[in-house]
Amino acid sequence: MSMEKEPVSGRTIHPVKYYRDFLAQNVRPDGRSLQTFRPVSINVGSIKTAEGSAIVKIGNTTVVCGIKAELAKPKAEEPNFGYLVPNVELPPLCSPKFRPGPPSDQAQVSSNFIAETLTNSRCIDLRDLCIVSEHLAWVLHCDLICLDHDGSLLDACVIALVAALRTVELPHVLYDAEAEKTVVSAEKRSKLKVHSEPVATTYTIFDDEILLTDPTNEEESLSSGIMTVVVQGDKLCSVHKPGGSPLTDAQLQECINGAMKRAEHINKLINTALKSHET
Amino acid sequence: FIAGDTAVVTAVFGPVEVKPQRILIDKACVEALYRPKSGLPCVHDRMHESLLRNTCETSLLATLHPRTSISIIIQEMQDSGGLLACAVNSACLALMSSGIAMKFLVAAVSCMISQEDKLLIDPTNKQLKDSKASLTFVFDSVKKNTVASHTTGSFTQIQYQESLMKCRNASDNIFSLYRDMVKKYASRI
Repeated sequence: MSMEKEPVSGRTIHPVKYYRDFLAQNVRPDGRSLQTFRPVSINVGSIKTAEGSAIVKIGNTTVVCGIKAELAKPKAEEPNFGYLVPNVELPPLCSPKFRPGPPSDQAQVSSNFIAETLTNSRCIDLRDLCIVSEHLAWVLHCDLICLDHDGSLLDACVIALVAALRTVELPHVLYDAEAEKTVVSAEKRSKLKVHSEPVATTYTIFDDEILLTDPTNEEESLSSGIMTVVVQGDKLCSVHKPGGSPLTDAQLQECINGAMKRAEHINKLINTALKSHET
Repeated sequence: FIAGDTAVVTAVFGPVEVKPQRILIDKACVEALYRPKSGLPCVHDRMHESLLRNTCETSLLATLHPRTSISIIIQEMQDSGGLLACAVNSACLALMSSGIAMKFLVAAVSCMISQEDKLLIDPTNKQLKDSKASLTFVFDSVKKNTVASHTTGSFTQIQYQESLMKCRNASDNIFSLYRDMVKKYASRI
């Protein structure tokens, strides 16, 4: 059996020109217009051994989030607070850009971004994670693993994390302070309280002028700048634009408006996924 | 570069020879290294590095120096609020004094929104403790558009727009500071 070779096309030789030709017609090579988002699919509660889990697909980008709970002693300077530890992994499986070894710079920046988003949006109150002040608290390890990187990674990670957090069910713990014994009841009961649902939307700037929403991997690598807006309810949680071509105020406003609209749509989707999981 | 009590030292090396794995055939490879005052660089510093790297990459004419690398090394000396803005400004000054061709200059301004919804520009660490949100914007010198933006905490759209406008006005001060510095520097030659 022989593998069919793709004919050498303009796409591989001169990708920038290939894209410019399409954008001149106000359309992108995958058929979307410049402002259309890719379809999102969410599946919750797929990992049975984890306390909470979710799988999110935005177009081809796939991110799996698993949340495991562990017991630990709270920090001395914050005795009422539990821990929430997000970790983004970009294995070599998801894209040819990543090699095996210690976490790449991009993975570290993404983990940092997710951690900051969680604190900024106050999505989980760390006090809810405390069982007995100064002695026992929950540590939630949130592992986000990207299985396929096709752009908009941060969007998928945030959606997966929020969906997984809403399915987390923590078991009840009885702590005997004198004997220092902990008894964990095997029957999982209380749900974790999620106070807000942040939603991230990514845009890229192509050729310093054209704004593309929800870019694919190819578009991201050809772009001259990238920007992520995190929206929570009707408040802005974060506007993350790490350098890249300068944007005018009007363009910024456009991005924020688009992000707000998308947040509503995504939240409805998460709610539907959660309802079907419960039934 | 010293802003109030926050001090940052920046060194720029380049264009110099680049390692074969990082070689880019059409432009220079811009690297940023950020070292905190104490301890090893942590994950948080990586984010600063990536912001600095991208900002400097857009402002430099990297295509003039293909197959080379330009390294920007930043050492934090003292942190008393507005560290990221300080770092960006000092990187811009270092690039200016190194003589590498730039498309535009950049100026960074930090501001915060206090618990009573008041807007404060260039806050100190003490003021930051009582804040709802802190925002850092980087503007370019030609069209005053936003090159980079980094925010912590949550805020409304209107607050964002307001702080953007106020910081843009404040950036004029920084650009005139650059001009004064260059005048002093150039007159010595």
